[in-house]
Amino acid sequence: MAVLSTPRSAVQLASKGTPVREHLFRTLLIASLVVAFIFMVALLSYVFVEGWPRLDSRLWENMPSIRNPDIAGAQSAITGTLWVISLTGLFTLPTGIAAAIYLEEYADKTRWYNRVIELNIQNLAGIPSIVYGILGLGIIARTLGLGFSVITASLTLGLLVLPIVIIASREALRAVPPSIREGSLALGATQWQTISRQVLPASIPGIATGSILALSRAIGEAAPLLMLGAVSFIRFNPDGIFASYTVLPIQIFNWISQSREGFHVLAAAAIVVLLVILLLMNSVAIWLRNRYQKRW
Amino acid sequence: MPNVTVRGPEAPRTIESLDPVFTVKNLSVFYGDYEAVRGVDMLIGNREITAMIGPSGCGKSTVLRCFNRMNDLIPGARPAGTIQYHGEDLYGDHVDPIEVRRRIGMVFQKPNPFPKSIYDNIAYGPKVNGVKGKMDDIVEEALTKAALWDEVKGKLKQNALSLSGGQQQRLCIARAIAVKPEVILMDEPCSALDPIATTKIEDLMQELAHDYTIVIVTHNMQQAARVSHRTAFFTAEVDDAGVRHGRLVEFDETSRIFTNPSDKRTEDYITGRFG
Repeated sequence: MAVLSTPRSAVQLASKGTPVREHLFRTLLIASLVVAFIFMVALLSYVFVEGWPRLDSRLWENMPSIRNPDIAGAQSAITGTLWVISLTGLFTLPTGIAAAIYLEEYADKTRWYNRVIELNIQNLAGIPSIVYGILGLGIIARTLGLGFSVITASLTLGLLVLPIVIIASREALRAVPPSIREGSLALGATQWQTISRQVLPASIPGIATGSILALSRAIGEAAPLLMLGAVSFIRFNPDGIFASYTVLPIQIFNWISQSREGFHVLAAAAIVVLLVILLLMNSVAIWLRNRYQKRW
Repeated sequence: MPNVTVRGPEAPRTIESLDPVFTVKNLSVFYGDYEAVRGVDMLIGNREITAMIGPSGCGKSTVLRCFNRMNDLIPGARPAGTIQYHGEDLYGDHVDPIEVRRRIGMVFQKPNPFPKSIYDNIAYGPKVNGVKGKMDDIVEEALTKAALWDEVKGKLKQNALSLSGGQQQRLCIARAIAVKPEVILMDEPCSALDPIATTKIEDLMQELAHDYTIVIVTHNMQQAARVSHRTAFFTAEVDDAGVRHGRLVEFDETSRIFTNPSDKRTEDYITGRFG
């Protein structure tokens, strides 16, 4: 070991003093994380403390009231949210997954129209949600004549999150190694058999995670629904897809706009309910991902 | 000459009496405008092991993937010339590639079991091909033929990915056998395996050659010498326009390729002077 025997090497191996830049960079990274974390904790503790007096069964057993905050509840908004989000999923998941399968497994990427479609899906994911509200109002509510109903809201929110579902599903499909497709095709399986029996089952965890996150976004949306009749004062649960409705984000917005303090407490309590529904959906996504995660 | 064992006992029949499974005539393969392999002529004998050897990028895998039309999956890939399977044009208009792949199985370089149970891996092929009959028997028979049954019979419901690399590759062979093909193509089946697993696969190939026609692409010359009846030596050559093409240099009985090659390039390759 000629190198180690020379005295110079000892100098080379010694520390060059405190790496200030290393520390600085590390601190900067941690600080960025802390900013996000502090705001999240502040938000959560604020709404929780504020809404605590009204976090009881009145919230989901009673209907909204503009006269008395003590007897007002959010039942119609909670059921409305559940109706809208279920129908959104029913509409957007099959459509989005099917579109992803086409783009990932069938589309010839050398064709210009497939590249145009791909590019536009990326762009669609970035369009402000209020624009989708206008689209829903013009085409779904008026032209198709579906009016201000649960189905109009679901179709509009479905369109809004469709690009997210497509992008997430494509990534999940792409994560399935090509060797699995080759192995299946080499056994005389058709392309559809290969997709339905090998590729799709293997990509379910990724698709499910992405889909639930997309629906989580839809559940918190208020802007497009402002244009689609959700602002009306609703004291009944939806009884079908053509019923009038309201949803939690809109109900929260309504209560916060009231002047009386009691309604602000109610709004905070409703925010907690909305957050709980969101966290439940995200937990399901994480559980699905861990449960069915595949390693190749 | 390197010290290699050349498969001896049963001398192959003459090339005329081969009863060829595949007859390849003037085959070229294009990827778009690029001619990857040019002018290949060879015969694949019935129930023989044919080895394709040569340096990287000489087109041997490309040719192998024509035999079960796996090249169809690569956009822009197209063959010219003819490949006949028992006298029928493999690329004829009426030929269904799905049907081709059912009869001509394939084992890949990296073991690629499906992320399912051992049982489901074997049962998948017969199922998609609509095979009737007792699936348990089909699975046992295939695993037995692939010399894997004794090792896995107690854990058929276990995930196939829990097996060792060598076991996974034999599972892939069993999976191919389960659809009762006539030919098994193997694309460097041992290159990801250790020597002991390699020996097991080689023994298995010898065994399978009684019932199946096997075509194997290998980087390992000793492997070709040990297992095959006939050997095709490919190389890559630059033409007058400066473009590289894969070419078939020599196709003969394995014993002759390794002891008395007729082409200087073959001799240089097998003695280790290039490649």
